[in-house]
Amino acid sequence: MKQIQAKVTGNNQIAKDYYKLVFSWEPPPDTGPGDSYPDFPNPQPGQFITIRVSETTVPLLRRPFAFSGYNAETGEASIIYLKRGKGTEILAGKCPGEYIDIIGPLGNYLKKPENKQKPVLVAGGIGLGPLLYFSSMLDQWQIPHLFIFGARTARYVPDMNSLKNVAICTDDGSKGFAGTVADFLNNFEEKELEHTMLYCCGPLPMLKACHGFATEYDLECYVVMEQIMACGVGACMGCTIKLKKPQGYARVCTEGPVFKSRDIAWT
Amino acid sequence: MDLSIYIGGKKLVNPVGVASGTFGYGSEYEKLVDFTGLGALYTKTVTLKSRSGNKCPRIIETPSGMLNSIGLANVGVDRFISEKLPLLEQAGCALIPNIAGFTEYEYAAILKRLEASHLPWGYEINISCPNVSHGGFTFGTNPAMVEHLTAKLRRITEKPLIIKLTPNVTDIRGIAQAAENGGADAVSCINTLVGMVIDTKTKKPVLGNITGGLSGPAIRPVGVASVYRVKRAVTIPVIGLGGIMTADDAIQYFLAGASAIQIGTGNFVDPGIPQKVLAGIKDYCEHEGMKTIGDFHQFIE
Ligand SMILES: Cc1cc2nc3c(=O)[nH]c(=O)nc-3n(C[C@H](O)[C@H](O)[C@H](O)COP(=O)(O)OP(=O)(O)OC[C@H]3O[C@@H](n4cnc5c(N)ncnc54)[C@H](O)[C@@H]3O)c2cc1C
Ligand SMILES: Cc1cc2nc3c(=O)[nH]c(=O)nc-3n(C[C@H](O)[C@H](O)[C@H](O)COP(=O)(O)O)c2cc1C
Ligand code: FES
Repeated sequence: MKQIQAKVTGNNQIAKDYYKLVFSWEPPPDTGPGDSYPDFPNPQPGQFITIRVSETTVPLLRRPFAFSGYNAETGEASIIYLKRGKGTEILAGKCPGEYIDIIGPLGNYLKKPENKQKPVLVAGGIGLGPLLYFSSMLDQWQIPHLFIFGARTARYVPDMNSLKNVAICTDDGSKGFAGTVADFLNNFEEKELEHTMLYCCGPLPMLKACHGFATEYDLECYVVMEQIMACGVGACMGCTIKLKKPQGYARVCTEGPVFKSRDIAWT
Repeated sequence: MDLSIYIGGKKLVNPVGVASGTFGYGSEYEKLVDFTGLGALYTKTVTLKSRSGNKCPRIIETPSGMLNSIGLANVGVDRFISEKLPLLEQAGCALIPNIAGFTEYEYAAILKRLEASHLPWGYEINISCPNVSHGGFTFGTNPAMVEHLTAKLRRITEKPLIIKLTPNVTDIRGIAQAAENGGADAVSCINTLVGMVIDTKTKKPVLGNITGGLSGPAIRPVGVASVYRVKRAVTIPVIGLGGIMTADDAIQYFLAGASAIQIGTGNFVDPGIPQKVLAGIKDYCEHEGMKTIGDFHQFIE
């Protein structure tokens, strides 16, 4: 975990209201003698950063975003974000060459599956970023996997040509499968699901549906959770979610954001 | 220039501290902040037994501020002493545990256990808790309860005892005087103000606990006014906090009468703020020809 001024190298719209911000660990000029961030730890899929989007007091708190990719050679990392409020609107205005105040990498991460396991990645909306990153890692490890992405309508679906095996679902059927990702999952035959492992990130109703599916077929299921954060580093106890007893509350920023779906006290 | 200050006869190397509940047990910020630059580290409130805290969600941003209803989630005093305090052995700054109880007995029991450790520099007493043996009234809203509690804790420790005042009272000066009469070495103000946000879509309060404590730049003028009034009611040092993000904010507190300040919500926004604030205070002192924090108080009328 570090706090740095990262240099924006790209910030482009990739679908309606969705943007991809690319940044490098390169420090601003004149930050001091030989200043660089050589020991910035490699981010893992599922981990996130917090960004102070502006120096003003509205918005005040740092905003958390998951890594959507990292290139160890160039030192460039990216996030994919939805422009939805004041903070992300300011973020969408950042231009290449500008510097942003980031803290990261934060939280736990998605681990490499074991040999015989067959990963299925289920992403909805802003859950796309972390699973795209995980998918690229699975490719590196040469682990075949299916990527399912759900959106309301075709306009919210970015280009996914880099993915080898992808199923796109839209609620209105304007692209790919007509229905939710949960509907899509329900079309699987039970025997196809042997050794399947689910990795899910997206809106709460989607995560709940995935958990329900995993429970029904007794599949291992990891979910990447979200909660409003203040510190992002485990100090404020603000970002908790409820786990089943005896675990009680857990901080999404520190014990998470990745949890086993069966550990969560879904309500 | 010498920015050190004294509370209860003990020295703090500089007047900039980090506020209770916003800096965890310290170790969470270890990788981001150089503790040796901090005047004091006030740890998250500890209670006698561990507490898991309030229902979620626990925080929500508000204009220039935030509401929190953490519910004093903490590991309890025994684990605090065995697990958390030792991590701070090498911190290189004054450690000030913040404590709270739901009865006078609990406050006293926590303090006695902490007294067995050599690590605390002093203590900050959070009196924004309901007194369950006296009808659930918040300790900090009743001068008689504050004086009695302070006197009881005073008999347990010789280390600096700081009473942290809540602004949710009719007159904060009477509470501050009660703390002084009970033998406190300083008062700190302010804790958070009660607030609420309602989601107009669901028509329900956003926070799981319904109400929460307001903090951040939005409450700074309330904090400055509280320090101004309290300073004129007591002779012990006043520690100011509430919404400090910049050196200018901190200087307002000193000019109002504070001898030290704390940074709370600002740590979330940028963990580098305490260091920047200290540097800015030094620049200001140099520019204005001030040699000590006491020099700020010559402007008090
Ligand atoms: C671990 C984690 C990873 C995330 N990754 C991504 C990502 O990869 N891409 C993406 O688009 N979004 C991601 N989010 C959500 C993102 O943080 C919010 O969309 C963003 O903070 C909204 O800010 P805003 O000012 O534009 O919107 P606002 O108008 O302030 O808020 C809109 C909504 O965003 C959420 N939000 C607001 N403030 C915070 C905060 N401080 N912490 C968390 N959530 C908040 C709330 O649900 C709120 O209702 C992630 C959140 C978490 C906790
Ligand atoms: C998330 C959060 C948790 C807090 N927890 C505590 C606490 O445990 N004990 C305490 O005395 N004050 C607590 N406070 C209050 C702060 O210490 C401080 O008094 C208040 O936030 C005003 O300062 P600020 O505006 O700089 O944050 C908390 C504040 C926040 C924002
Ligand atoms: S955001 Fe503060 S503990 Fe997680």
